[in-house]
Amino acid sequence: MNKKTLIQKAAAAPHIVWSVLFIIAPLIFVMYYAFTDNEGSFTVSNFTELFQASYLEIFLRSVCFAFLATVICLVLAYPIAYFISRANAKTQKILIMLVMLPMWMNFLIRTYSWMALLEDTGIINTFLGFFGIGPVHMINTAGAVILGMVYNYLPYMIIPIHSVLSKVDVRLLEAAADLGSNPFTVITKVVFPLSIPGIISGITMVFVPSISTFYISQKLGGGNFDLIGDTIERQFQTAYNYNLGASMSFVLMLLIIISMTIMNKYADDDGGVII
Amino acid sequence: MKRTNKIYTALIFVFLYLPIAVLILFSFNSSNSTNSLAGFSLKWYKELFSDGATLLALRNTLVLAILSSVIATIIGTLAAYGIFRMKNKHVKNALLTVNNIPMMNPEIVVGISMMLLFVFVGRLVNAQSTLGFGTVLIAHITFNIPYVVLSVLPKFKQMDRHLPEAALDLGCTPFQSFYKVEMPQIISGIISGFIMAFTLSIDDFIISYFTIGSGFETLPIRIYSMTKKRVTPDMYALSALIFLSILILLLISNFTGNSNNAKEKKPVTLKQKKTRRIVIASTFAVIAIITGAVFISTATTETVVVNVYNWGEYISDGSDGSYDTNKAFEEYYSNVLSEERGHKVKVQVNYTTFTSNEDLYAKIKSGVGGYDVIIPSDYMVERLKNEGLIQPLDLNNIPNYKYIKDEFKKPFYDNGKDTYSAMYTYGIVGIIYNTKYVDEADIGGWDLLWNEKYSGHILQFNNARDAFGSAMYKLGISVNTATEDEWRQALSELKTQKPHVQSYVMDEIYNKLESEEAWIGAYYAGDALSMIYNNENLAFYYPKNEDGEFATNIFADAMCIPTGIDAENKEHAEAYINFMLSEEPAIANAEYIYYGCPNTLVTNNQEYRDYLGEDFDVIYDPDIEENIDDLFSNYAYRNLPADKLALLNKLWEELKVDSSSFGGGIYIVSGVIALAIVGFIVFSYVVKVRRRRLYWNTTPKTK
Amino acid sequence: MNEKKIIELKGVSKTFDDEVILDNIDLKVYEKEFMTLLGPSGCGKTTTLRIIAGFVTPDSGEVLFDDVKINDVPPHKRSVNTVFQKYALFPHLNVYENIAFALRLKKVSEEEIYERVEEMLTMVNLRGFEKRDVNLLSGGQQQRVAIARALINKPRVLLLDEPLGALDLKLRKDMQNELKNIQRKTGITFIYVTHDQEEALSMSDTVVVMANGKIQQIGSPTDIYNEPENAFVADFIGESNIIDGVMLDDFKVRFSGHEFVCLDKGFGKNEAVDVVVRPEDVDVVPLEKGMLRGVVDSVTFKGVHYEIIVTINKFKWMIQSTDYVAPMQKIGIYVEPDAIHIMKKSEFSGMFGDYSSFSDELDHLSDVTEEEE
Repeated sequence: MNKKTLIQKAAAAPHIVWSVLFIIAPLIFVMYYAFTDNEGSFTVSNFTELFQASYLEIFLRSVCFAFLATVICLVLAYPIAYFISRANAKTQKILIMLVMLPMWMNFLIRTYSWMALLEDTGIINTFLGFFGIGPVHMINTAGAVILGMVYNYLPYMIIPIHSVLSKVDVRLLEAAADLGSNPFTVITKVVFPLSIPGIISGITMVFVPSISTFYISQKLGGGNFDLIGDTIERQFQTAYNYNLGASMSFVLMLLIIISMTIMNKYADDDGGVII
Repeated sequence: MKRTNKIYTALIFVFLYLPIAVLILFSFNSSNSTNSLAGFSLKWYKELFSDGATLLALRNTLVLAILSSVIATIIGTLAAYGIFRMKNKHVKNALLTVNNIPMMNPEIVVGISMMLLFVFVGRLVNAQSTLGFGTVLIAHITFNIPYVVLSVLPKFKQMDRHLPEAALDLGCTPFQSFYKVEMPQIISGIISGFIMAFTLSIDDFIISYFTIGSGFETLPIRIYSMTKKRVTPDMYALSALIFLSILILLLISNFTGNSNNAKEKKPVTLKQKKTRRIVIASTFAVIAIITGAVFISTATTETVVVNVYNWGEYISDGSDGSYDTNKAFEEYYSNVLSEERGHKVKVQVNYTTFTSNEDLYAKIKSGVGGYDVIIPSDYMVERLKNEGLIQPLDLNNIPNYKYIKDEFKKPFYDNGKDTYSAMYTYGIVGIIYNTKYVDEADIGGWDLLWNEKYSGHILQFNNARDAFGSAMYKLGISVNTATEDEWRQALSELKTQKPHVQSYVMDEIYNKLESEEAWIGAYYAGDALSMIYNNENLAFYYPKNEDGEFATNIFADAMCIPTGIDAENKEHAEAYINFMLSEEPAIANAEYIYYGCPNTLVTNNQEYRDYLGEDFDVIYDPDIEENIDDLFSNYAYRNLPADKLALLNKLWEELKVDSSSFGGGIYIVSGVIALAIVGFIVFSYVVKVRRRRLYWNTTPKTK
Repeated sequence: MNEKKIIELKGVSKTFDDEVILDNIDLKVYEKEFMTLLGPSGCGKTTTLRIIAGFVTPDSGEVLFDDVKINDVPPHKRSVNTVFQKYALFPHLNVYENIAFALRLKKVSEEEIYERVEEMLTMVNLRGFEKRDVNLLSGGQQQRVAIARALINKPRVLLLDEPLGALDLKLRKDMQNELKNIQRKTGITFIYVTHDQEEALSMSDTVVVMANGKIQQIGSPTDIYNEPENAFVADFIGESNIIDGVMLDDFKVRFSGHEFVCLDKGFGKNEAVDVVVRPEDVDVVPLEKGMLRGVVDSVTFKGVHYEIIVTINKFKWMIQSTDYVAPMQKIGIYVEPDAIHIMKKSEFSGMFGDYSSFSDELDHLSDVTEEEE
């Protein structure tokens, strides 16, 4: 028995060591670089630099783009997650598989494929050209960047919502109808509040990668819509300004932690909203 | 209602699959365009199987995914067990919180945080190269573990506490009870954790991007560097094949047995059980074989690795049946070494690419690379030399150095006592434009890049020095001795240009100009000729200033060896440089790159001259060749003093983040939506409180 | 009692996946009636209820409410409310909000909602539980919330789908009384679905016995018990010995090789019939006084009586008697004329009534796993 408890205690040890070395320590280094200059002495200038209007605008833009992408994902994903959850088990399985399938393809190449679709001489405009419409300018616009985000992260919204919705007891829906809910109020008053946990995790899974992406904005925004991710990437890959990059990452982390905390707090507030 | 639901669902699926359909469609395209169809062909599939680098990247990706997910599964499963049995709640919660960090943190932060750790430790131990296979493996294991823990832990929690007791009661030893009773309960969690880890690892780009070094390229990284220039449709073919195999795999798993559906408690027949076991066993067997094979192949023969870091599209790489320089070197040098050492030596060239001198500098300066041969441009050679980041070449080891034209042997950037570089190519920046759209009257100078008539169709360099250079040539400011005010003047010029710029590009320019997506861009003359070859509407010129004087950049790229590599590696690097200067590879590269070549073995070669035909006089313009020394001393970029370099970086940053003209509407829309949501939350909260007012203070009557 | 018809089913049939669930059902429900649909699992009782509630649309036939056809009226527009099996309380709402749910939909003023919710809470004895989380209530409390929630709308008809199925025996008895009281107080028509015959008999005004998608018998609890119409009803309601017999003449029946006097008439001469004799109506008498004689197989003490299985002419009778007899003992039995009930032969003849394979537990178990269609 003694041996067994020892094993039980030791089982987590590799994980603890690993976490300290490769999760905690790297974060300490982010802080270290964020608060030092390239000579290694303490400074807060990396942060004061971030308070320039242009960097603030980048933060604002990233938040706005990610926010809009998240909202659009939610609006698009909710109905389809709901429809799928109401189908029979076999259809559900197939449809969910189809939702996940694109995620198995490299996202770079899928995003690149969107470029071919959206360009002025691209596929969509060629197609529209047959009807004498266009060319409609789509690429290198804010819309294209947001579209890229929505496209890449939509499955992350559909899947958690679906998994919550598919567990909602049909009897609850019947009970609501029985008590006088029409099909619309059944959704607003019962289905939606019950699916809030799924929505929350969907929002997290879309918002976090959207706010920190750098590939999508480069390819579909043509470098005109720098996001936090682009700016951080530039500090590390070309500008060789690790300190500024680290301070930006630090702020990004704080931003995400704060928004997640607010959202979770709001969601935990005994059972969500009454609508 | 039902019908509209179906239509809606179908539309979403169209949205999700549209790019994939495009990709599959274009994998059958007979031309190499990725946005217009020419005809049906399977050539990209054929091409794929002869594209060594891509296949190697695919293999690397699989090896990395298998290794990292196996290790993560072991650590994660143990951790889940340990956490499950842990009595101290605080420790348990702390562990779970830490476990969640890699999942909650943005990938880019995870990536850079690990990179910072590696760089720091690398400096501490003075490693030759900090980033490589090991670091990317550690990174992958790190982000895989949490998913394994989260999929195994619930299985432990669901398990009936009494099961092990029942097993012991019925006569199992503790080990048997674990193996026969507990294991089957959690195996599904382990498997799904493993699969999750595996797929995440295969698909990961961002974290790999920051933690990968020279000498190891995964598929996503390769795709990324490809999308930086021109994606060849064989990548589409590969994606189509991957898509197809996953689809088939999923279909099979979906239609053979509902083993993973816990809700259906259909009895499992013996046969199903058997097949399931076979499937699991064979999966693990395949994994074991692959990992084993990799270890064995790397362990048995002595392998010499040469890490080369070059510009994109800057070497004859065997595509379209051309000469494969790196492969040729591997064969040649392996023979040389084997003979020398008396046993078989394998030579492996790890070839990776960068898109700008500044990218290269960041990699070299941070010491993450571990590169043996790098090919920076003139001013960067100067900078690297000044900062002690490259070392002198031992010309005894590079006998072919003598074939370099004399005027290129001691260029301005390398005129010290020692020779730090061997020139690879040289060229001039020209402006490429589309004759279909651009009025001939507008051409001639740099102002074409500022011409509002072509707003939205202009491309600008995506690197600081060249972009500022364009503005400074336009303004008549010296690119090398400008004052701070003049630099700022150039910045404001670039800011006025920004609204008209379609995008800031490097090698993406090929696609954009050839497909006529953009009409005007400045790039290097040799590239201009290749573009014209692909689209005859394109033309180019060397920009002149208002006085009709030559006003553009002449550049040279040269092969260098970074400091910090050991003597043996340096020898290999020199062998590589020497090989590059020998006749066959030099000609092949010159034909492929289409830039000026300083090698007399090339320029004197009649076949080469025939190959270029008329273009020979364009590339080696006699007027220019005559004054080449002069031009280099007057029109090349020089390394800037430290304060100007810092200024340039700062101004470039300012330009990149400047956005006075974009996106106002987006802010309004998101502001309105955010307000609506907040308003709604406040409203519902108020309603809730108001409703509660009536009953909230009642207390239950106790019976 | 039964003055005015409120709900009527006319020739209602329903098929799921080629399986006939309801086969031509005719049913009338009257105002203020407590009606129970009783039957084993899969008999169609829950489907019938769901057709009335509007969750299931019949394939054919009519559903009338106040003589108006409501086949296509959706559930939320019917003045019928349901207490669901396992309650289906909204987990995201507290007790108060669950009960207030229907009124909120009607946009009733807050004050009125408060009054009516409190009234309901008082009725179901849950005052003070307003802000409790429904997930943390006991089964009985959840049950009461479900009833209050369904009743707050003042429906004309309340449908209850096995509402007591999840409760333990003691609580069940209490809730039976409480339900009956609520029904009396409110005067609302209750349609109650159960597979528990005892529950059905003790609570209902009218019992509808169903099997195989058909109504076997409709009647008051005493009618159903005393005058079962076929072997199924006789067997399902209480314990019965069902013996093949021949009606010799009016008031004269022959079974087990003996001629008995009975109170039934109107059958054909020498018509084959099913004869029902309830175990408690059989008297054990000394061997010589017995109308029939047999050997005791087994005796089980049941508290108020002994349960005795006796083989008579290869047929195993069940007898409930307060007197002890020993196994293997030969005894005589005596049956009064009014203890004999004659039924026409039906599809169920020969399926029930012999206690040779009788097992109390098995019977019980098979009933508990009642599921929904």
